[in-house]
Amino acid sequence: MSAAVTAPAAGAPAASRGILLLLLLPGLVALVVTFLLPLLWLFRASFASSAVGTLSGGDWTSEAYTTVLFDPFYWRVAWNTLVLGFNVAVFAVILSYPIALFLARTQSRFRGVLTALAVAPLLTSSVVRTYGWMVIFGDRGVINSTLQALSLTDGVIRLTNNSLGATVALIEILMPYAILAMLSGFGRLNVQLEEAAAMLGANRLRVFTRIVLPLSLPGVLTAALLVFVLAISSFVTPRLMGGGRVFVLGTEVFNEATVTLNWPLAAALSVMLLVLFSSIILLYQRALRALEV
Amino acid sequence: MADHHVIIENLVKTYPGAQKPSVDHVSFSLPRGEMLALLGPSGCGKTTILRMIAGLIVPTSGAIRLDGRDVSSIPVYKRNMGMVFQAYALFPHMSVAENISFGLEMRKVGRAEREERVRKALDLVKLAGFGERKVSQLSGGQQQRAAIARSLVIEPELLLLDEPLSNLDAKLRDEMRDEIRDIQARTGVTAIFVTHDQDEALSMADRLAVMSAGRLEQIGTPREIFDRPQTDFVASFIGAGTFFEGKVAGPGVAAVDGLPPLRFVGEAAVGSPVRLMVRPHRLLLAGEHGQPNSFTGVVEHIVYRGQILTLSVRCGSRLLQADLPTHAGVLPQKGDQVTLTVAPEDVTLIGREAA
Repeated sequence: MSAAVTAPAAGAPAASRGILLLLLLPGLVALVVTFLLPLLWLFRASFASSAVGTLSGGDWTSEAYTTVLFDPFYWRVAWNTLVLGFNVAVFAVILSYPIALFLARTQSRFRGVLTALAVAPLLTSSVVRTYGWMVIFGDRGVINSTLQALSLTDGVIRLTNNSLGATVALIEILMPYAILAMLSGFGRLNVQLEEAAAMLGANRLRVFTRIVLPLSLPGVLTAALLVFVLAISSFVTPRLMGGGRVFVLGTEVFNEATVTLNWPLAAALSVMLLVLFSSIILLYQRALRALEV
Repeated sequence: MADHHVIIENLVKTYPGAQKPSVDHVSFSLPRGEMLALLGPSGCGKTTILRMIAGLIVPTSGAIRLDGRDVSSIPVYKRNMGMVFQAYALFPHMSVAENISFGLEMRKVGRAEREERVRKALDLVKLAGFGERKVSQLSGGQQQRAAIARSLVIEPELLLLDEPLSNLDAKLRDEMRDEIRDIQARTGVTAIFVTHDQDEALSMADRLAVMSAGRLEQIGTPREIFDRPQTDFVASFIGAGTFFEGKVAGPGVAAVDGLPPLRFVGEAAVGSPVRLMVRPHRLLLAGEHGQPNSFTGVVEHIVYRGQILTLSVRCGSRLLQADLPTHAGVLPQKGDQVTLTVAPEDVTLIGREAA
């Protein structure tokens, strides 16, 4: 009796698993071709010997890694990258938090429009927005010429061609991502919880520190991770705002690949960036689990 | 009235841009320890009243008095009222004990006392031993209990409950209904709850305030509301009944279209129009004709409902609804001719105080 009942039940998942695999197949093929194979190729390339502009065949050498690991320059580049990523993540999150919180909580009928406006900068290329910052921050840009016209400063305040400019521009460019990530991570926020806390005697500050802030942390963490990863892998903004004087992993990979034509080194730097990403995502997942359980 | 614990005076709420007020000059009061139900269909303003008392909505005008003191201008977090939300609103990032302890922390109660009071509150709602659980590990009924414990542990002036049983399944609802009543009686807290369910209101509340379209229709004990509805709305919203329009033909007699004269108990001027109602369970099978208020007709429709049998009897142009107990001997069949009677004192004169 029980066997007759369980037999078809056991058969059904097997059949649906087959269908599931079949449905997954196109996506898997696309991922293997466009992601896994290039990744393997990159890994292989990082162990090739450094003939200029080529990947010389079958031999394996750890030459590129020796350069990356023992040249203090690359350690500095890695450090610069982390510092840039950290600063950008912290400030983008702090600046985006009130906006995201407002958008998540507002009852306004313009909420949709306001959300669209908050992420509208994503519609323009980050190259264009970086040039925009150059117009504002340049030596003869809006800020410097205004300050000089008002005779507030004598010389030029250097806002571009250094990491300050790159950091500020990246913060603004990545803020829409932070807002989006926070909005999706604020699912546990709920006006009724705030009302319940108020009924129990919590004033607005305490409602924020004891209810809103803890419940919004998963969103904050997701936003910080996303911005950090985007910042440390960024290339255009540090390159343009840094004017070649800001050395981060992104710009170095580009240099080695297109200027010096040292592909194995470019590949080794990319792998390093990849290792950095992975460890940070692991940390993030641990933190998120600690927050939500 | 004046010494009542909670007094609501001419409470009005008009939302900006609204044509009509959501709550329109509502006044009522509760003595200490009473449980009042705000009953009405959705959109009648009952929840708005509850939230105004809580301080979550600012009234347009009117007063909310606790022990004679107007609290309308006191912010929510200083009102010292407990509220049980419809979806419980337990804090998901805290354990059950932390949830209950929250209000005590806000009141700067010391750790030892806090732990003691949380333990007592858990005992009160039969959740002893559940303190360390996460909210998500509780069933719906347990969450409800935790929410009640959280709102009572602060020893509130007034307990407010927003549709307290609506998120529970039928069986649990009956259990929690008795439970809430019992907890309220044991703690002696004055309580107001909002519901759209008349059974819930009739069985839980000491008194009911029936609302319709922002206005208070009638306030009274469950019996008064059920047996002596003062308005058409209350009569038709609470329970079933057959309604009669008529004219007073003489003292205690009304001429009703299509039926023999209907005798009732109550004061009404001869010649004035009246509305009368008979509850289905007040109509009885008569042994013989000739009694006052007896109506003979043919059974048109029968619904068997376990303990009772609902008959629809065609008397002339009228269809009378009668509920008969199923243990009452031989039950009529469809198509049978039956005679129904109703005692004059069981005919409700709508819109008049009981004689």
